[in-house]
Amino acid sequence: MNDMIFTAIVIAVKILVVLAVTLGLGAYLTWYERKFAGHLQARRGPTVVGPFGLLQPLADGLKLMTKAPILPKGIDTKLYYMAIMMALVPAIMLFAVVPFGPSFKIMGHEVKPIVANLNIAILYVFAMGSMAAYGTLFAGWASNSKYAFIGSLRKAALIVSYEVVLGFAALSVILLAGSMNVFDIVDSQIKSGIWYIVYQPISFVLFLFCLLAESGRVPFDIQEAEAELVTGYNVEYGGMKFGIFPLAEWYLNVLALCAIATVLYFGGWSGPHIFGPFSGFIWFLVKTFGLLFFVLWVHWTLPRYQAKDVVEFAWKYLLPISIVNLVATAFFVYFKG
Amino acid sequence: MIKLKRLRRDDSLGPLESVLFLDFIKGLTITMKNLLRKPITTQYPKEKITPPKRFRGKHGHFVYDGTEPPSLQAIQGFMSFEKGKSRCVACYMCQTACPMPTLFRIEAVQMPDGTKKVVRFDMNLLNCLFCGLCVDACPVECLTMSDIHEMAVYRRSQAVIHMDDMEKIGATNAKTVRELPDRIWRNDKERETLWGKVKWNF
Repeated sequence: MNDMIFTAIVIAVKILVVLAVTLGLGAYLTWYERKFAGHLQARRGPTVVGPFGLLQPLADGLKLMTKAPILPKGIDTKLYYMAIMMALVPAIMLFAVVPFGPSFKIMGHEVKPIVANLNIAILYVFAMGSMAAYGTLFAGWASNSKYAFIGSLRKAALIVSYEVVLGFAALSVILLAGSMNVFDIVDSQIKSGIWYIVYQPISFVLFLFCLLAESGRVPFDIQEAEAELVTGYNVEYGGMKFGIFPLAEWYLNVLALCAIATVLYFGGWSGPHIFGPFSGFIWFLVKTFGLLFFVLWVHWTLPRYQAKDVVEFAWKYLLPISIVNLVATAFFVYFKG
Repeated sequence: MIKLKRLRRDDSLGPLESVLFLDFIKGLTITMKNLLRKPITTQYPKEKITPPKRFRGKHGHFVYDGTEPPSLQAIQGFMSFEKGKSRCVACYMCQTACPMPTLFRIEAVQMPDGTKKVVRFDMNLLNCLFCGLCVDACPVECLTMSDIHEMAVYRRSQAVIHMDDMEKIGATNAKTVRELPDRIWRNDKERETLWGKVKWNF
């Protein structure tokens, strides 16, 4: 009975911490991105609100929340509102299977810093990634606007093609680790002492492409394509209703996928114990944010692919490469492992 | 003879380039160089760049203060000037030179002693394209242009400037501009921090 209460409390705390951290982080990533983008272009980024513009996300949130709620004509109201949640919830749910560090002990109980320690965690990630497409699709359909609709159609095409590649890319790592549990994947990397990016550089590049495509980042941001579609599927949304979409897709989704990539390719929390008891957590965050830095760097550097090229690229080049890579890995594991 | 360097670029990337994403990496290095560079922006309301000497800003009138050119000294006996007031002779040359017929409104009257007095010199700056032809046309070096470029106003009527405004500008901003050495940037140091060193090609 005591155990049960303890477990319930631990799970509640985990959920609260993950929700608070991810949503707060998501808001502050807007500041980070604007500052970073500014300095990439020899500008300064936000500087006015607070020191170094640090209060800018709060000011933005306040501004978005006090905007007049405007509903466009001819929308499907239920879907219009549902799309917001359909976009936000899968992005947050992705964090359920992110292990933030090694397991530790509180009052004699072993606690793993993960909300749901699933044995099919990677499959769960793919499922939630695909779910995110529904938010976009509903938003485009319900908006009664051609730009939004074209944007959501493009996103659907993108998700369908890149989910396949993502699956095959991650599968080769799963073959090496022999498990879909994130803790087992990290543990096998720590045991062998070599991160899987050494064995699977091609798979990592493919995963990175899929990460950029799934989260609508340049060079695959065809569903938002400011120059062609204004801002794509969320063009008819206003105020905080609009603010949710970039938050979910550009920040939470990217952050979660970066964390998963860290687990799959960079050995999760493995690293030298130089930060004391929190070493594992800090290493995990350092790796995740390093990857996020790279994603933002690519976003603010490269031009955009054409819509037809993106899907063609996935089916004609990435998919064959990933299958060949997977078969090679399978042979390697069969004969060596 | 100018030598043109022509760069040829192949349509398709080489095999090594396309596999290793060399073109991506080239682009990424350029942005990384920018990231490590100091921002070149000016934070406008807080810091302002000084306009160059020949900047054509808000108009001013030089005043009657003993620095008149010979062309004015010859006819100043026919004018009723006051010290520290505009030295305009109402010759309408500025209005003639102006491409916009309704920009100037100049009026002069004859005083009881027979001299000429300019009573009105209005410019509607909403019509002005700041070409500077009126300044070139002025025979007595009266009309001038200052470095004032923040001219936003709340009402259309405020955009019309009168003789007293222009006298003030002529005594302050335009005077400092006139006394500067004739070159593009007042302060080379300030310019070089923003745009780098100038190399003159002699």
